[in-house]
Amino acid sequence: MKLFGLVFVLALFGFGVVMMRIEINRSGRNISQLQNEVEIKEARNQYLQLEISRLSSPGNITRLAQEKLGMVPAKPHEIVLLEEK
Amino acid sequence: MFKRPASSPFVFNVKSRMRAAGMVILLAPLCIFVRLFYMQTFLYEEFSSKAERAIYNYLAEDRLRGKILDVNGRELAESVRTHSCGVNKRYVQDKNKTVQFLSETLGMPKKTILDKWKRASNFFFVAKKIKPDKYIKISQILRTRLGQGLELTPEYERIHPYGESALDLIGASNSKNYGLSGIEQMYNRELSQDISKKRAKRARRGEIIYDRKLKEELSVANVYLTVDAVAQFYAESALKKAVEEVGAEHGVAVVQEPKTGKILAAASYPVKDGQSLAFQFTYEPGSTFKTIAVSSALDAGVVRVTDSIDMDGRKWEIARGVVVRDNQHEKDFLSVPEIMQLSSNIGAGKIALELGAKNLFYYIKAFGFGTKTDINFNGESKGNVPPYSKWTKVDTATKGYGYGVAVTPIQLINAYSAVANGGILMQPHIIDRIEYAGGKVEKKSKPVKIRRVLKQETSDTMKKVLQSVVEAGSGKRARITGYQVAGKTGTAEKLSKEGGYAKRSHVASFCGFAPVSDPQFTVLVILDNPAKYSFGGTAAAPVFKEIMERMLAMKGIQPDQLDFE
Repeated sequence: MKLFGLVFVLALFGFGVVMMRIEINRSGRNISQLQNEVEIKEARNQYLQLEISRLSSPGNITRLAQEKLGMVPAKPHEIVLLEEK
Repeated sequence: MFKRPASSPFVFNVKSRMRAAGMVILLAPLCIFVRLFYMQTFLYEEFSSKAERAIYNYLAEDRLRGKILDVNGRELAESVRTHSCGVNKRYVQDKNKTVQFLSETLGMPKKTILDKWKRASNFFFVAKKIKPDKYIKISQILRTRLGQGLELTPEYERIHPYGESALDLIGASNSKNYGLSGIEQMYNRELSQDISKKRAKRARRGEIIYDRKLKEELSVANVYLTVDAVAQFYAESALKKAVEEVGAEHGVAVVQEPKTGKILAAASYPVKDGQSLAFQFTYEPGSTFKTIAVSSALDAGVVRVTDSIDMDGRKWEIARGVVVRDNQHEKDFLSVPEIMQLSSNIGAGKIALELGAKNLFYYIKAFGFGTKTDINFNGESKGNVPPYSKWTKVDTATKGYGYGVAVTPIQLINAYSAVANGGILMQPHIIDRIEYAGGKVEKKSKPVKIRRVLKQETSDTMKKVLQSVVEAGSGKRARITGYQVAGKTGTAEKLSKEGGYAKRSHVASFCGFAPVSDPQFTVLVILDNPAKYSFGGTAAAPVFKEIMERMLAMKGIQPDQLDFE
């Protein structure tokens, strides 16, 4: 009886260890997958931010304003400030 | 059964056998233990340094670099995390499918990949610094059968979102993220991640595991320039257009705030990373230097603005055999403003002689010529101002109109800013602030007065004299509607290789400031050896005008000349 109890406890312990191991592995995979997704999103975000910087560069804006909208730089005396700083 | 004599020292009972077997079994771990002990004690240094080297070599390549930004926080240089794609041949399941996938994703010919495959023993990089969209595609299949054997190694790439803009100032860093030139080199320590603080371990498959306590981004600083990216763009585009139009070899355009000494733009053309001509170009300034000689003489009181100078029939023999001619006018006497308006070498030479070699030398030095600025840009030149004890009479006279001295653009613009701001030489600044990890901000561009060079009244007089140059003299092309503009043209002959001065090789320049009533910007434009329009007034003054107009418009500076149409 004593032996049976011992074996049962050991089996229970072993089962617990196995279950824990499975859970750890599953969580590890989830974490890894999430980390991968985060990395992908971060890479995408960084790329898009770079695109924003590129597109909002003075050279690009000037080119678009001149080519697409036919704008020309204003002469300083043509600018009227509505409110003095 | 076999029996041993009783006298035999070997007793083969069970106990002895077990002991012997135990000893044999223990022998192997004992050897291992001894070896480990030896390695830990005597070979510790060698192995630990090997391990450190392996990790730190990796970290050195992988480390993040701080940003370089303009004064308003626009990113001029930043590190973007990219990846290199490698193949571990041993783990690849289906060579053909993997090569096909890589070829399609990376946009590379199959043959290129197969060639690399053949050459590599086991591992090889297919592509370095791949774009995020490609990285995403590859990382999505990493855990599938197709992705086995593929590896993505993180690394940083230095990106300049504004293209070549300010690249001459920013400089370059190498693939290991070390600054090689320009600001990248000057502030390498601040911009680099301190890898001595970055602890890491290598995991089983070679991945780097960073110490949890220290995030990667914590130990880099961001460097903010005083340069405004928009002003820089204006200066660069106007300069590029001018250099190409007149067929010059090089061009420099610098914009400075005269009251604070801040450099708002410093453009060089052609652009070479880390080679800013604003600091590195040395030249004889020619007539733009007359402002220095004349203001010094006025300040010393040896000449008054109303004085008339005899032109000696526009053919002045300084010393025997050395004749200076003024072919641009037919007047016998010129006042000081007229000397500047007509850019008379005879007038400026005579004024320099009146001031004397010693006084002129000290004024030139006081204006900051012959000395490097505190910016200490890499490769910055200090110019050349020979000691006055070695000057002859001819040397003194020629220095009055800008020959026999070598200056840098940054020295000249700073001297003009001193004239503009009431006579005080300011410390020029290119770095506005450094933001360290953890939020500490070090302000670098606080206005620093180096010394008073001119009296306030001399500065006021010179402003009017220089204004008359733009309104009635050689600088008419720099006039801006609605604004009082002051400046001086310069057309200097270049030294020829054969000795003496080359008659057809010039440096055309214009330096000035506006609005005269309250100068906000000083602008210097230099065109080196223009093929056509070799005069400062025709080649450089229009570029000055274009840049100054845009600066005034950008900052919303109100006109100070109200009676314009």
